[in-house]
Formats: sequence, C-alpha cells, structure tokens
Amino acid sequence: MTQIIIIIIIIAILIALSIGLLGMLKGGKAGSNKMFKSLVIRVALSLSLFIIVMFSAYMDWIEPNVIMMDAFSFQ
Amino acid sequence: MTTITAYTSHHSPEKGLMRWIKTTNHKDIGSLYLWFAFIMLLIGGAMAMVIRMELFQPGMQLINPQFFNQMTTMHGLIMVFGAIMPAFVGLGNWLIPMMIGAPDMALPRMNNWSFWILPFAGGILLSTFFMEGGAPAFGWTFYAPLSTTFAPDSTDFFIFAVHLLGFSSIMGAINIIATVVNMRALEMKLMDMPLFVWTWLITSFLLIGAMPVLAGAVTMMLTDRNFGTAFFDAAGGGDPVMFQHIFWFFGHPEVYIMILPAFGVISHVIPTFARKPLFGYSSMVYATASIAFLSYIVWAHHMFLTGMPVAGELYFMYATMLIAVPTGVKVFNWISTMWRGSMTFETPMLWAVSFVFLFTIGGFSGVMVGIAPADIQYHDTYFVVAHFHYVLVTGALWSIIAATFYWLPKWTGKMYNETLAKVHFWWAVISVNVLFFPQHFLGLAGMPRRIPDYSLQFADFNMISSIGGFAFGTSFILFTYIVIDCIRNGKPADARPWEGAKGLEWTLEPKAQYHSFNKPPTRELIKQESQNS
Amino acid sequence: MNEREYYVPSATYWPIIGSIGVTTLFVGFANQMHGASWGASIMALGFSILVFMMFGWFGQVVNESTSGMYNTQVDRSFRWGMSWFIFSEVMFFAVFFGVLFYARQLSVPWLGGSGNNHFTPDLWNGFSSTWQQIAFSTPGLILQSGTVISVPRQLVDAWGLPALNTALLLLSGVTLTFAHHTLRNGDRNKIIGWLVATIVLGVLFLGFQITEYGHAYHDGLKLTSGIYGSTFYMLTGFHGFHVTVGVIMLTVILYRVQKGHFSADSHFGFEGVAWYWHFVDVVWLGLFIFVYWL
Repeated sequence: MTQIIIIIIIIAILIALSIGLLGMLKGGKAGSNKMFKSLVIRVALSLSLFIIVMFSAYMDWIEPNVIMMDAFSFQ
Repeated sequence: MTTITAYTSHHSPEKGLMRWIKTTNHKDIGSLYLWFAFIMLLIGGAMAMVIRMELFQPGMQLINPQFFNQMTTMHGLIMVFGAIMPAFVGLGNWLIPMMIGAPDMALPRMNNWSFWILPFAGGILLSTFFMEGGAPAFGWTFYAPLSTTFAPDSTDFFIFAVHLLGFSSIMGAINIIATVVNMRALEMKLMDMPLFVWTWLITSFLLIGAMPVLAGAVTMMLTDRNFGTAFFDAAGGGDPVMFQHIFWFFGHPEVYIMILPAFGVISHVIPTFARKPLFGYSSMVYATASIAFLSYIVWAHHMFLTGMPVAGELYFMYATMLIAVPTGVKVFNWISTMWRGSMTFETPMLWAVSFVFLFTIGGFSGVMVGIAPADIQYHDTYFVVAHFHYVLVTGALWSIIAATFYWLPKWTGKMYNETLAKVHFWWAVISVNVLFFPQHFLGLAGMPRRIPDYSLQFADFNMISSIGGFAFGTSFILFTYIVIDCIRNGKPADARPWEGAKGLEWTLEPKAQYHSFNKPPTRELIKQESQNS
Repeated sequence: MNEREYYVPSATYWPIIGSIGVTTLFVGFANQMHGASWGASIMALGFSILVFMMFGWFGQVVNESTSGMYNTQVDRSFRWGMSWFIFSEVMFFAVFFGVLFYARQLSVPWLGGSGNNHFTPDLWNGFSSTWQQIAFSTPGLILQSGTVISVPRQLVDAWGLPALNTALLLLSGVTLTFAHHTLRNGDRNKIIGWLVATIVLGVLFLGFQITEYGHAYHDGLKLTSGIYGSTFYMLTGFHGFHVTVGVIMLTVILYRVQKGHFSADSHFGFEGVAWYWHFVDVVWLGLFIFVYWL
C-alpha cells in the first residue's frame, strides 16, 4: 500500500515537472507563470514524498535495501 | 514586411575551405551531409563488394574469417550511421527550410556542429581497421558478450564513435523540431506542411527518444569492458539478453528513422508525376505517427529465439503485425495517387515507382519474419539479410536517389542527363534484384548470415547474388558521373522543372538562393502549393 | 532587434573546435584504458579544448543576446532546443533505471530459477537470488571480463548520508524556487542570496556524495561488486556528474544575474538552468527511493 502511494506521488512529480517543461517551451508571461506554478507544486510534492518515505520507514512499513553481511549464514 | 536582419547581410558565402568549416547556412550544411553520406556509401559499398567476392564460391577464397566478420560489421555500421542517416539529415537540411518558407534552420550554429562531428566520428570508426586486433567483428548489432568479453581492443574506439554519432543525430533532430515548429511561415498550418516535413518531424522525435538509449547501451559496454561492471554478465547478476533488449529498444525505432523520411520523399515524387494531388494526405500523416508510436513497442520481435515467455512472443508478434496496417495505408495511398493519373516516367518517378514495388516486397518479408513460429526458421539466415536489404536499399537508399534526381535541378539550377539517368536506373534496379532476391531462397534453404563459407548446395544462388552485387556496385560509378556532370555541364533548369510539382521550394529561383525565403510566403501561395487539397 | 526580422547568425568556428576537443578527449580516454601512458594528458588537453569552446561559444551567444540581436523567435528556438535536449537526457537516465528494474525484477530472480522450475542452480554456497544479496557473492568469483568480484561487507545505509543528501537536494529545490520567485518580481538583491544558497547546497550534496563513495568503497562496495555495485555507481555517478554540471550552470547564472542580464519578463537562461536543476533533483529522488528503499 505504502509503495503504491509512493509510486503515485513519483508519477505526480514527473507530471508536474513535465508541465513545467511545457510552460518553459511556451515562453512569454503565460508560459512563465505556468512553469513557475508547476515547479512549486513539484517541490511541494517532493518534500511530502520525502517525509512520507522517512515516516513509513520509521513505522517499519517499508524496509531499506540494506542488509549486513552477517545476516547471511554462508561461508 | 519581414526581412533577414542586416547583421547577416555581410556574410554571404566565404571563399575556400573556411566557407565549409564555418558555414551556418542550411544549404551548405545539407551539401556537406550529402557528400559525406555519399563517400561513406562508397566505402561501405566497397566492403559489401569484398563480402560478395568472398561468397562468390564456397570455400575460403580471398580473406580470412576474422576479416570477413570485420567487413560485415563495418559495412552495416557505416551504411546505417554513415550513409543512410546522414543522407536523410542532409536532405532535411536542404529541403525543410525551403518547404516551410523559412530563411534557414532554427539553430544554424548547432547545425554546423552536428555535421562537423560526423567526419571525426567516421574517422575514429574507420581507424579501427589499423589497430591491433583489427576492427570490431561482432556484427552491427554488437551483442554482448561478443562485444564485451570477446571483442578486440579497438571496440572502445568504436564505442566512442557511436557516442559521437548519437550526439550528432540528437542535435540534428532537435534542430529539425525547432525549425519546423518555430521557423514555419506564420500562415502555414500544421496540416499545410509537405509530407517530407511531417515525416522528418516525426522522425526527429524517434531520434531523440532512441539515440540516448543507444548511448546508454554503449556506455555500459564500455564499463563492462574496462571497469569490471557486470551489466551483461550473468556471473555478477547481469544478463546478456538485457543488452539485446536495450539495443533493440533503440534499434527498432532506428529502422523507422531510416524509412519514414523515405516515405516523405516518395509522397512528393509520385503526385508530381501522376499530376494528381496526393491521395489521403491526412491519413498519410496519421499513418506516419502511428508507425512511429508502434515502433517503440515491438522491439523484441528481433529476439524471438532468446527464450522469451510465450506471452511475450505473442504480444510482440501481434504488435508487429499491427505495423503492417499504417504501412499498408501508405502503399495504398501511393497507388491511389497514381490511379488514373496522367503519368510520365522521368527518372525520379522510375525510382519512386520501383520503391513502392520493391519496398512492399521487403515489407511482406518483414511480416513473415515477424511471425514468431515462422521466425524460428528465418532467424539469422540470409532470408533476414534479403528482408532488410529490400527495405533499406530498395527502400531508404532508393528514396534518397529519387530525391537526388527530383531536387537536383533546385539544388544546382541545372538539369541532369535524362537518358543516362534512365540507363542508370534500369542498370541498378535489375542488378539489385539479381543481388538480393536469390538471398530469400538461400535463407529459406538454411544458409546462415555472417558466415564466410557455406555448403555446396548454396553455391549457385550465391554466385548469382554476387554477380548482381558487382553490377549494382558499378552502377554507382555511373551515378557519380551523372551528378557531377549535372553540376558542371547541366543545361539550365526552370524554377519548376517538373510540370506537376507542388511545394514552396519550386517558387524559388531555379538555383535556390542562399537564404531561401527573405520574407514569409503569403497564405494564398501556401494554399496553392499545399499537398493537402 | 525588430520582431519582424529573421535572425541568421554569422559563420562560426566554435563547432569545429568542439569536434576537435571531443575527439581528442575520447581518443585520449580510449588509449588511457589500454595502458598508454600519454592517454591522460591527451584527455586533459581535449577537455581543456572543450571548456575553451564552451566559454567562447556560450559567451558569444550571451553577448549577442545582451546586445539585443535576438527577437522572440530566436528565444523560442532556444526554448525548444533546451527542452528537447533535456528530454534526451531523460531517456538516457531511463536506460539506467530500466537496467535497475530489469536486473532486480527479472535477471536476478531468473538466476535463482524463477520462471523455470527445473533449473535452480546453487551458484554458490548460501546463494539466494534476492536483490540485496546478489552483491554478496562468493569471494573470488570471476566475471567473464576477468574481473574478480569485490564483495562488500555491507551495502550503503539509506538512513545516513543518503537521507541527508536527499534533504539537502530537496532544500536546494526550495531555495531555487525562491530565487525564481524573486526574479519574477524583479528583486535582484534577494535573488543573489537564494542562488548562492542553492549553489552551496549543491556543492554540499556533492561533498557528501564523495564521502559516501569513500565509505562504500572502504566497505568493499565497488563497481566490480556485481550488478548491485554496477547499477549503484552508474546511476549515482551519472547523477553526480549532472549535479556538477548543474552547479557550474547555476554559477554562470549567478554571474549573469549580477551583470543584470535578466529581467522579470525575459530570463530564458535562468529558466532553462532552473528546470535542469529541478530535473536533476527529481532524478535523485527517484534514485533515493528505488535504489535505497523500494
């Protein structure tokens, strides 16, 4: 569940970033506004995603990709 | 009124070599591209001659197997990256600004760089022949581990050459997108654009999407070879099959990069000599876009024999079949354009009609190899060689030659020798079929590709094929003569040398002026010259 | 310049210098890898030529821009050029993310026999085909290239420097947004502060990244640690390279802001670099989540 939410937010960030690109492409006053707004949204989303990931890790909903070698009984 | 800024008026062409090195003019750069592509075509063609000489008879004849492999590899690489792609970029450079009513490309300095990387990249690639261990010999698809573990040292130079070629292609594509979008005459709507411009615009998106993937693939090859990474090595958890996935994710769009502009050229030549408007203009545009989209989702049909899950094989087979639909739309449109037209057969038209005929043969054999169960027989045989030479030689190269004859009067202001050009056409079209058609039979009988020697039962067809190859090779001597003769001694041509020709480029002077349009064409003129009517 | 005029730039020799530079760089690099003692110096020469070319070429464009030679059409061409260049970068990163997913979801499980039940090899004693463990292969395992696989004692801990670095880079996105905001309001003094903050955060990120590489290398996690090490260093390495380029571009933008090259209405140079920085930021976020967490 947490993973799905994380992936959805990543997709939303990518969309916001792309809309920003389209704004830059358009140029002028309108394009500049569009670019700025969507980039603000992308920054806000990124920060929330970071907090969500840290919080889920703290709550043990997700596990990091880190394993000590001692965890394995070989050799 | 719009004019070219006074800032530029003092830079009419410089004299001598510096003109070509420093130029920012789309016509100069287009010519550079075309000549570079032609020289590369001759070099790659010479390698093909060596291949056909070795295969003239069974048994080892002239060269050792290692050198044979270098020949097939470098022939493929040079023809794809050195000849066909630069030739189309050259045509795009020459024609797109003239067709959309612009004075030049959108980013002329970058345009210069995208050309001037090519001779260096080509030089690095060719220099590998003189290195210890010889040139790359793993086939133009450079599958791992052939290209990582078992490759000669020169492979690293090949990798950097591919990086440079990709860089050049991406810059060229960016430039064409910016030009079409931003330099187009204000009154020209998207659906007024000539089809060559449409096909190139769509091709540019393919290039920008596919070339970075190739750059990534060769970068991983580089680190696998030199820095001990394990991307394509199962011992470290990687996978050599992954290389094939990445390569063909680039490679399949690449195939359409080489054929979409060809469709554009043919869509200009056929209406002109059928003296009818192009049948189904908008369906042509949509078909081109569909082909481009589909090209990204069919790559693994090159890999039916790698042990994919059956579901994967089925998906890639059906998706591949789907491409036949928009391609069929195009072929039917060309035929419908000719239907009841008052046709004449000047040289460009001969090339275009034979393109439709021969490309369709290549397209059909493409459907055959796209059928997963049947491909088990065709895979890595001469049938595949015949297939892709029918689409790339009698498809892509044919359209480049058609375009050369069609627009040569506009480029030089002079007319080529029609009689000689027709002799050249019949010489080439007959010999190319003698060259490639028997290869279908060889493949069906089981002759593998990339092999310097073969069993005796393949001897006759190989000899026929080689004879066709030598005849086809020599036809380019005549082609060179016709083009140079046109440039030097051609009779002056009219501004619109073809009676039925439409398009803004024909409204320019007989030899198009250095900067095509100093002021944008009017709405009436655009309407009048539009293919979409 | 008049809006109704076409702009066609003068002839230029920068491209040929660039070609010579990049060719020298690559030829030097290739020779270096094959043990030529002079390879590195040739590389350095090629790199210097490239830097010289960039200063010259971009400097010329900036000069032409500030002297008012460009009109909105030229501006739009630059916008399209930059946008599609960045798209090609997106595709370049997409390849390496694709490799990460392919190796983790397909090729590593296949090594453990997944999808092919009667082929479950015991590659080495204690082998289990999980992503984390693939790096811990038997010491002494040799790749086809002859490289001896380096076995790490532990993988990089997501809680330490990586989390800190993510926070730093995300913060730099915030400061850059403030810089963007103040620029749009035409407040030149404040924008310098925000830009400096962004650059400092970027440099800090790079510093910590180098520290982290040091730790990882010390623990035995190297490029030669199988597919885990390969993807880890390839992704973070190319990202780090792009951050470096981004920091340099931001520094140039800082210089141009001080020179007064940008106005509240017209600042494409700033926008292009800002978007590039946001892109690099998002790539790191993707890296952080997919390499370290999911």
